Amino acid sequence: MTATNSFSTAPASPWRARLERPWVRWGLVALVVVLAIVVPLLLPEFANQTLARIGVFSVAVLGLNVVMGYAGQISLGQIFFVGLGAYVTAYGYNAGWNIVIVFVLACLIPAVVGMVVALAAARLGGLAIAMVTIALPIIGVPLAKRFSEVTGGSQGTSARFSAAPEWSGLYDDQWQLYLVILIGGATFMLTRNLVRGKYGRAFAIVKGNESVAASMGVSPYRYKVLAFTIASLIGGVSGFLYMVVIQYTSPETLNFGHSIELLASMVIGGAGSIIGSLIGGAWYVLVPQVTNIIDPNLTTVLQGAILLIVLFFLPNGFVSLPRLLRRIGRRDAPQRSAAEVPQHIEE
Amino acid sequence: MRMNRRRSRVASVVAGVGIVAVLVAGCSRGGAEPDGDGGAATASPGITDTTITLGMTTPLSGGTAGPGTCTVAGLEAYFGSVNAAGGIEFGDGKTRTVEIKALDDEYDPQKAKANYDQLKGSVFAMTAGLGTPTNRAWREAAIADEVPQVLIQTGDPLFSNTQESPWQLGFVPAYQNEGEAFGELLAGAGGEHKVAILSQNDDYGEGYVEGFKSAIEGADNIEIVKELTYEATDTAVDAQLTELAASDADVLFNAMSITPLVISSLQKMQEIGWLPSLFLPSNTSSPGAILEPGGAAALPAVYTVSFAKTPQSPAYAEDEDVVTFLSDLAEYADYPDVPAFPHCMWSYMIGATLEQVFTKMTEPTREDFMAQLRTISDFEAPLMLPGTSVDTTEDDQPAVSTVQVIKYNGKGYEPVDSWDE
Amino acid sequence: MSTFLQLMIDGLSTGSIYAALALSIVLVHQATGLINFAQGGMAVLSAYIAWVIYGLGAPLIVAILAAVIVSFFLGALIERYLVRRFERGDPDTAVVVTIGLLTLITGICAWFWTYNNQLFPSLFPLDTVQIAGAVISVRSLGTIVVIVAIMVLLQALFVGTKLGLALRAVAIDPSSAALSGVPVGRNLMIGWGLAASLGAIAGVLVAPQLTLTPGMMDSALVYALAAVILGGLTSPIGVVVAAWLIGILENLAAVYVPFIGHDLKIAVPFVLVFVVLLVRPQGLFGRKSVVRV
Repeated sequence: MTATNSFSTAPASPWRARLERPWVRWGLVALVVVLAIVVPLLLPEFANQTLARIGVFSVAVLGLNVVMGYAGQISLGQIFFVGLGAYVTAYGYNAGWNIVIVFVLACLIPAVVGMVVALAAARLGGLAIAMVTIALPIIGVPLAKRFSEVTGGSQGTSARFSAAPEWSGLYDDQWQLYLVILIGGATFMLTRNLVRGKYGRAFAIVKGNESVAASMGVSPYRYKVLAFTIASLIGGVSGFLYMVVIQYTSPETLNFGHSIELLASMVIGGAGSIIGSLIGGAWYVLVPQVTNIIDPNLTTVLQGAILLIVLFFLPNGFVSLPRLLRRIGRRDAPQRSAAEVPQHIEE
Repeated sequence: MRMNRRRSRVASVVAGVGIVAVLVAGCSRGGAEPDGDGGAATASPGITDTTITLGMTTPLSGGTAGPGTCTVAGLEAYFGSVNAAGGIEFGDGKTRTVEIKALDDEYDPQKAKANYDQLKGSVFAMTAGLGTPTNRAWREAAIADEVPQVLIQTGDPLFSNTQESPWQLGFVPAYQNEGEAFGELLAGAGGEHKVAILSQNDDYGEGYVEGFKSAIEGADNIEIVKELTYEATDTAVDAQLTELAASDADVLFNAMSITPLVISSLQKMQEIGWLPSLFLPSNTSSPGAILEPGGAAALPAVYTVSFAKTPQSPAYAEDEDVVTFLSDLAEYADYPDVPAFPHCMWSYMIGATLEQVFTKMTEPTREDFMAQLRTISDFEAPLMLPGTSVDTTEDDQPAVSTVQVIKYNGKGYEPVDSWDE
Repeated sequence: MSTFLQLMIDGLSTGSIYAALALSIVLVHQATGLINFAQGGMAVLSAYIAWVIYGLGAPLIVAILAAVIVSFFLGALIERYLVRRFERGDPDTAVVVTIGLLTLITGICAWFWTYNNQLFPSLFPLDTVQIAGAVISVRSLGTIVVIVAIMVLLQALFVGTKLGLALRAVAIDPSSAALSGVPVGRNLMIGWGLAASLGAIAGVLVAPQLTLTPGMMDSALVYALAAVILGGLTSPIGVVVAAWLIGILENLAAVYVPFIGHDLKIAVPFVLVFVVLLVRPQGLFGRKSVVRV
């Protein structure tokens, strides 16, 4: 009763085969859900806060992955949409609007901006898109400072709305982590369905070769705009979560350097991969903390060195680690024929 | 495939019920909560009978790393020498040594908050950090967690307002205070003056300008003819200076915190032949690092404000305070150069101020610490200019609120009381 | 009128700083097909090396020459042992590798020489020259002259010499180049080495004004990228003209368009790039590239 995945054509490893069995998959899902519920209740405060931050930036990297990893368009402006979402959230909350409306706006406004930018830029080549996306955070910072009545100027604004409500009996950090898991998880699931479906296939074709895509009736322009809009929307979600966890935003949030860090996180995690986005978020949050613990005066050297070392061994990011290990393992194991059925279990 | 969908629905329902059940049950986690202290007698985190630990989150990399590294070095220098002498005798009779845990926040508010989250359970108080957005990011969390965020290095007045920030206190004068001091000096001048303003486009520059303008309000002899800004990341301010020069002002109020830009401004002004009198902020007025390379002697007058003795000034080369300070820096903080940023001196003074508070503390708690913190007055910390002192008793004012206007004399600075015509 | 002229000259001067970096980026791209984010960082490292040698007592010119030579070998080594592995793969990964390299080099500079602003001596005297009522410093003039000279040399290299041809061939199609007998590996190393030397010159030209600090070239990098894209990735003349245009237009927009002011003037280069690319996707001076499907 092996239910082989209709997508897979290459000879799969034993693990892949196991994963394709429905009860294994649903068992894993149930396990993840249980963990998601129980773990925040057991971990100390700092661990929860770190996990929440990882969630925030995983979503940001996920957005970047949609447009860069899947659709192949260069975007160096993802942090602009994160910052925009955060500012919309802060403004809306401080203006007294209902938090659900604020969330919806935090998703929609960046999406609209992203769409407008893409409508203009997507007709141009890859470098032009890169340039336009670089412009976003760079112009965004002085804009945020200029419109200081709305944004709080260079001193930033605070918005504390994620304190745990009385009826839950939870601590703040637990409540925030649950919110991140819930909203972030939903975003991940929706995106995963998107990229596994026809849109994902269209993105892949556009990424591969635009002329081929056009000749197949897949409009590169349309799908580029779509990819950007989705990426910006996800960026807005990340911005909302940013306010949930950090509760403060300032023009520094939009710093262009963070866009570069997001790009590096995406590649290190694994471009074009959902799990890679999660790993990328973890990278973004954990590497500064770890290098701080090693030596706060040498954070830059260590971060550069770690990045280069990881890429040296895993040029395709951490998601390629299983593949690498398998390759190393296969070098030692006896040669197996290509026709071998994946059900064969070793070890 | 239909079977899978049904199973996924079942799984989701089970998960949903599970979540709701757990939330409603509201189980708490086992183990102690690192949540401040219980009663008045139980010690706060970060303090034992023999040591007290202070935490810092400050930029140690990136554009502000020069001053940021100084904030750590000054504190380490002061407490290094104090520890070497045996420690501090607290008001409760115990002698303790001081440990410092400093983390790099890369001038990113998000990382500053993360550093705070990481440190708050293991340090007694957070102190001496540099930066307004980075300190603001965790200000509210510190208030909620009742963790002191004191003697921080930002001129943002919010931190010194006891109503708004009960667990905070700024150390350095508010930017507004410094701007005001300049404004008062100029307003008291005899003749008419036209002022051009060039300010950094953030709370630093805005604060300076606000204070300056409030001090010259109503002074008929002073007119602001042109006001421009620049970004901290600009490579040059040539265009701004050209535009300001065209306004024919005879005084330039330059609220600039970026060293190379100040130097190039000085050079540019001489190039285009515009030689106004100049006001510079306290943190970018070093004679050795800025005025001499910029050739400031060509200007009719250069004023700045200060409350600290500058080690580069030849006048203080033999000063006892300065000599001790420099040797402490080299020995305990691994900082062998003469500092180009005043933050080294300011952190040293912060250390001395904290020592005063420690000697008054009778209980090892954060509450007592905050109470005693607000009782220091007329304390002349080492390196302070005569006429300035630490005073924490004034609500709405940082620990240092008095500044001295000083004028460049070709080699160093000397105090002035009025505008020389 | 003299303000206008002064602003233009100031813009030329600032633009030359961007142009210096942009030329190295173009060189690396022509030679290896990569955009090197670390170019600025490498230039800073070279400037520090020159500063150290100068501090040991050598005359400035000697220190600079030594730094240029050392940078050549550094660049070649970096290409051979670090970048080579990523050249054939995913371009995004290669870009992130150069980002990692930038972080590492910045961190190494900070480790050895701290973040304090060090004064770097100027090759040119601190005098000024008058041009039609506007003033330009000898230092800026000297920088402009050197940039133009390098630009001409690079253009000649690419178009006129066998080495330039070989470098471009290796970047465009390494396998064909190898089949034609061009030593691929060696040319890649030469390309990076030359770019690093160029970067060293850029570094020592701008260090006197910007003061030597690990992050010295960070702000210039974005402008340099804009200049590279605007001018066309394949044209040294194009990027220098583009960089000057950016510097000049920025200043003019800041002063004469009050809505923009000095805080938003940074938008000008990007708007410019965007508008130009709408009309000419290959940049002002670039060559149209045709890709076979």
